[in-house]
Amino acid sequence: MRELAEWLQGTPFSVTIQSVSWVVPLLQSIHIVTIGVVFVSSFMIALRVLGRIRTDEPFAAVWRQFSPWLWGGLCVMAVTGGLLVVGEPVREATSLSFWLKMALLVIAVAGTALFGRSLAAAARVELPSGAKGAAIALLVLWIAIIFLGRAIAYDVEVWGRLSLSA
Amino acid sequence: MDLASIVDSIYASGAAEWMRTSVKAMPIVEAIHVMAAATVFGTVLVVDLRLLGFPSTQRPFTRVSGELLKWTWAAFVVAVITGGLMFAANAPTYYVNTAFRLKMLALLGAGLNMAVFHTITCRTIRAWDQGVPAPLAGRIAGAASILIWVTLIFLARWIGFTKGYNFDVPQDVNLDFTF
Repeated sequence: MRELAEWLQGTPFSVTIQSVSWVVPLLQSIHIVTIGVVFVSSFMIALRVLGRIRTDEPFAAVWRQFSPWLWGGLCVMAVTGGLLVVGEPVREATSLSFWLKMALLVIAVAGTALFGRSLAAAARVELPSGAKGAAIALLVLWIAIIFLGRAIAYDVEVWGRLSLSA
Repeated sequence: MDLASIVDSIYASGAAEWMRTSVKAMPIVEAIHVMAAATVFGTVLVVDLRLLGFPSTQRPFTRVSGELLKWTWAAFVVAVITGGLMFAANAPTYYVNTAFRLKMLALLGAGLNMAVFHTITCRTIRAWDQGVPAPLAGRIAGAASILIWVTLIFLARWIGFTKGYNFDVPQDVNLDFTF
């Protein structure tokens, strides 16, 4: 993996991302703005399931309104995040936070898709069983993913001996 | 007491000292700041888009904002506390940083925009709360708010690239879960 990362870091495309001063801050800024879109979309769906907002609307309607923002935002984040990885492949490959983040991301995306399917099929007032727990679990997952994203830059500080970059 | 000496005393405070010496404080505080900022921006975006009539004017504006603004304010308080800690850690550096100053200006702009909207534009809220487009002043406030918050996040990220110091791990510190 490290060899692959080192090869990627030497490719002209990666070198361009590394050397043009405004590219990385721009990508990170777009990435953070989009975190707001994705996280709050998930938050709105969770608040509806928990009965805190829009109790006059069916679960499926709230899911239909916010899920396009959630998926659209995730696509933007995949592009900006992907370009950031190409720009700093060695740092990402040697970061425990990065790999944990990717693992949790797979779980969160799959969980959200399953959650959405059951909400879309849900009756107007009756909640699918376990939906409240699932809503909270997904929020916790997104929070962990945001935390790990920020922690990539601090792998040694956060993980100590467990860090892959030590 | 002038602003520069206030900045110096913030830098000398115990909280600032803790931020500088605890190895794990900075990443944790920064991560919480990102989460809080994301929540502020995302919830404000939902309210602003409703003001612009998106996805529709079907839901009363007061209901959309009433349901969400308490979350916005709660997240904002968290962002101010964590941001304050980050500022304290290197106060004199941030104080002279252009991106930081512009960010504070953007924050002021967001506050003024909101204050004008709530005290003047919202006087006629009953006429446009539901089913009809918000008046031009309201739509301008919504669009301005989105623009200001996106700009603010960009400026915030730029601070990290222009702050002029590196946060390096001290050599003689035990990094294994110490605070």
